[in-house]
Amino acid sequence: MINFFSKIIIYFYREYKTSMIGLNDLFVNLVFFFLSIFIFIFSIGSDKEILEITGIGIIWSLLLLSSTLSLKKYYDSDFNSGNLIMMHMNGFSYELIALIKVVSNFIFVQIPFLISIPIACLFVNIVFQKIILMLISFIIGSLILSCLGSISASMNLLNKKNYSLGSIIVMVLSIPVIIFSVGIINNEESFLSLIKILFGILFIFIAITPWFSAICIRLAIQNN
Amino acid sequence: MLKFFINPNKFNNLADVITKPLFYLSIFALIIGLVFSLYLSPDDYQQGSTVRIMYIHVPSAYLALLTYFIMVIYSILSLAFRIPFGFIVNSAVAPIGAVFTLICIVSGSLWGKPMWGTWWVWDARLTSVAILFIMYLIIIFLNFSFENNIVRDKIVAVFIILGSINLPIIKFSVDWWNTLHQPASISKLSSPSIDSSMLIPLLIMMFAFTLIGLFIAIIRIKTEIMLRKNKA
Repeated sequence: MINFFSKIIIYFYREYKTSMIGLNDLFVNLVFFFLSIFIFIFSIGSDKEILEITGIGIIWSLLLLSSTLSLKKYYDSDFNSGNLIMMHMNGFSYELIALIKVVSNFIFVQIPFLISIPIACLFVNIVFQKIILMLISFIIGSLILSCLGSISASMNLLNKKNYSLGSIIVMVLSIPVIIFSVGIINNEESFLSLIKILFGILFIFIAITPWFSAICIRLAIQNN
Repeated sequence: MLKFFINPNKFNNLADVITKPLFYLSIFALIIGLVFSLYLSPDDYQQGSTVRIMYIHVPSAYLALLTYFIMVIYSILSLAFRIPFGFIVNSAVAPIGAVFTLICIVSGSLWGKPMWGTWWVWDARLTSVAILFIMYLIIIFLNFSFENNIVRDKIVAVFIILGSINLPIIKFSVDWWNTLHQPASISKLSSPSIDSSMLIPLLIMMFAFTLIGLFIAIIRIKTEIMLRKNKA
């Protein structure tokens, strides 16, 4: 049992190492995020009242778009280098691998966005109270986004023709997430009911993601 | 007896027999339905003649949902019981559903302009149907994008099951949210809230659309079986 947990810790350490090597990739994502906020502001105009209304929606949709940027390296490098099979031979089921991947994606890809959200909120003139709500909704929503990323990246493992289909799948499935997490920020009086719905979506996806990704990884490994 | 639902050879045999009668029957039903809906049915007291869009809009919406439902059933069957015929049906039927969804959306927005004053509103029913259309498009694209057929079929089937969350949302969206779209008026079979002079043409048109959809589906499934046999 101790052996099993130490394996998981070693795996996380490896994820940390690989994400440190690819650190510039993460910075590119952050730069994309900030630059697209600037572009939105240039195109809408810098009127403070308009930005206050539209800012939350802009930031949330850009978070979604920039999290789809890193989909390519979700499973692909591990799959091509054979690490997925190695881990499976070490006693990890594919379901567990998918779950670990979701958590490590949450830590190493989404947390930097969590840190940069308050800075982005300053640009679009959002009040302090709403920033806190935004952070709460993003913590739950980004876990769901990691699950969605796992689903679409594992679906696209053997897809060599059009890879952008993966981000379309994430965007279609993330519609309820966007609706409810923007709803939390804009309707503070119905905070509790909306956050319960968001938690419900999160639990549904945590339940189905390992099963789903495991099916797709298994198919890809069998047929590669 | 019902082997033709799951066996390609039996299906081919049946299809050879019923394709031609089905074609004539569907043309006949369509003509009857068009005559009923364009000449014999009355105008609405509020909407005037625009109500006749309903005879296109409702059957195509019903077929869009029915097609997806059939695909869900076949995906579950084929994944759970390893029936490859389900995969054939999935890839053959998806474009039909997409076309019916497109007809539904376009006729709906043509109907919405004179009645609601706008081509499109973002309420629950319209948005969920638009998402259904995007789902169909993704399924079609998925069918094109994999080189390995086994992987492609299974991934498409799994995605169809994942997307089936949308079906109850479409069906009950008019009950759950306050929408501009009117609530269901013919699915309550005990007491439909539509007059029989309009209900009868509508039912004939639904029957005709079903036959047309079935006819195209049979031809597409036959073609798909031939293509796969050639490849194998």
